[in-house]
Amino acid sequence: MKKFVLLCFLATSTLLAQMEKPIEMPYVEYPMIKGDHDEVAQQYCLICHSWGYILNQGKKSRPYWNGTVQKMVNEFKAPIPKEDQQTIIDYLVKHYGYEAKAGQSGH
Amino acid sequence: MKHLNRRHFLGAGLLLGASTLLGKPLPDKPIAIPEEYKPPIIAFPEKKPMVTISDRPPLLKSARGRDIYTQAITPNDEFFVRWHLPDIPTHIDLKEFRLEVNGAVTTPLSLSIDDLKTTFDPVEITAVMQCGGNSRKYYAVTGQATHGVQWDHGAMGCAVWKGVRLKDILTRAGLKESAQWIGLNGLEKPAMEETPDFFREMALKEALEEQIIVAYGMNGEDLPYLNGFPIRLVIPGHFADSWVKMLSNIMVMDSYRNSFFMDVAYTVPDNDCECVVSGSDFEYKRKPIASMKVKSVIGYPSEESVIKKGSRIKISGVAFDQGKGIKEVMISLDSGKSWSAAKLGHDLGKYAFRMWSYEWETKTKGNYTIMARAINRIGNIQPMADEIGWNAGGYQYNGVDSVSVKIV
Repeated sequence: MKKFVLLCFLATSTLLAQMEKPIEMPYVEYPMIKGDHDEVAQQYCLICHSWGYILNQGKKSRPYWNGTVQKMVNEFKAPIPKEDQQTIIDYLVKHYGYEAKAGQSGH
Repeated sequence: MKHLNRRHFLGAGLLLGASTLLGKPLPDKPIAIPEEYKPPIIAFPEKKPMVTISDRPPLLKSARGRDIYTQAITPNDEFFVRWHLPDIPTHIDLKEFRLEVNGAVTTPLSLSIDDLKTTFDPVEITAVMQCGGNSRKYYAVTGQATHGVQWDHGAMGCAVWKGVRLKDILTRAGLKESAQWIGLNGLEKPAMEETPDFFREMALKEALEEQIIVAYGMNGEDLPYLNGFPIRLVIPGHFADSWVKMLSNIMVMDSYRNSFFMDVAYTVPDNDCECVVSGSDFEYKRKPIASMKVKSVIGYPSEESVIKKGSRIKISGVAFDQGKGIKEVMISLDSGKSWSAAKLGHDLGKYAFRMWSYEWETKTKGNYTIMARAINRIGNIQPMADEIGWNAGGYQYNGVDSVSVKIV
C-alpha cells in the first residue's frame, strides 16, 4: 500500500510544472460524416485545427460556411484551390448546416 | 409583466438606430439553439479530465459545468484552456527560455524566468480571466446564433496570479520618446508560415497601468503548461484575448501595426451599444473588445439538480466586472418578476470573482426559473437576456443568467 501511495505521489509530482520532459498531448479523433468528399475537408481543414471547431459551432447556413471558408483562405492563408473550396462549402452545408432561407442574411 | 426601464428604452433605440444605419430589415423569428454535439472528456497534461472542444489547438472547459462557479478561485487543473494556433511547443527549457523586450527601448532586455523572479518586485493579484466568446451560445436564446465555437459559461475562471509588473519591465528597458504601442507575442505558431501570428497590441499608456503583470505563478504554483507556462500576460478587468500565453516577446513600437488578430478577430461593432441587429454579418466598422462587462453566473443549482420540496437550498454563484467592483447581486425565483438581494461573500479584490448566495426554502412543487443579475459600483447592470445587444462574433455576452429547475 505504501509503495502504491509513493508511486502515485511520484506520478503526480512529475506533472507539477517545471516539466523536464516534453508534454504529451492527447489526440482526439472527432467524428466526420463520410461521403460528399469529406476527404477534401479533411485534407485542408485539419492542417490547422481539429474537426471539433466545426462540431462545436452548431448547424450553420450556406452564407456562413461560405464566409468561413473564405476567411480561412484570405485571412489564415489556407492553401485551398478554388474548386476544393466549393467542395468543402457544399460538404459543410449538407452535413453541418442548412441552405439559408430566402431574405435571411448571414447565418 | 416586464417593466420598461430607461436602459431597456435606450438599448432598443440604439438597436433601431443600428438597423437603420445598416439598412437591414429586422430579423424574423430567432433560431433556437440547435442540438449540441457533446465533446469527449479527456485529461490533458496537468489537467483533470475536461470537456475537449478541440484537441488542436486545445480548447478545454471544466467537466463540472456550473459547479465550478460555486467557488471563488478556480483550480489550476480545471481552469479553461483556449489556444489559437496549432503548433505549441511541447517542452520549455527554462535554461534557454527568454522574454525578449526590444523595439523602441534604450536597453533591450533578454530575461530568464529566474531574472523575473529574483530581480523584480513580485506582485500578486486575484483576477478573473474570461474569453471574449464566453457564454456566446446564449445569444441564440433570443436572437440568431453567432459565429464561433458555441461556448456556454465554461470559458472563464478566477486565479491568484503572481508575477512582475509590466510597467517595471518596460521601465528597466527604458522607453524611447517615440514609443506609443507595445506588441506581444508568444510561442504558439501557425501550421503554415503565411498564417498570421497571434500578435496582440496594447497602447503604451494602458500597458503602464499598475495592475498589469507578467505572471509566472497561478494559485501558488507555476502556471500550468496549457495556461501559458512559463509566463503569460495578465490584464485584470480585460477579456483574455491579450493575456498572451508563453509570452516570449514584448516589442515597443512607435505606431500601431494592422494585424488579423487585432483588427478582425475579437472585435465588436464600433458604436455606442457595440451591437447590431441580430442576424447581421460582419458588415460593420469594428473595434477590439477590451473591458469586461458586469456579469454573474449561477453555480448552483444547475438544470440537472434534483431539488426536493421542503428542502432548504443555497443558490450560489460568482459575479465580476471590469474592476469597479460588484455592488449587488439580485436573485429572482419567478422568471424575473420580482427580485431580492443575494448575500455577497468575501471581497477578494475588485478584479476577482465575488461569491454570492441566496437561501431558498422550496415550499411548493413545480417548475421555477432562477435568475441572477449583478450591478457594479458605477451602476452598470446586466441586461436581461432578451434586451442584450447582439454582435456577429458573439463577444462579451453578459445577459442575465437563468437556470430552470424542477421542485419534486
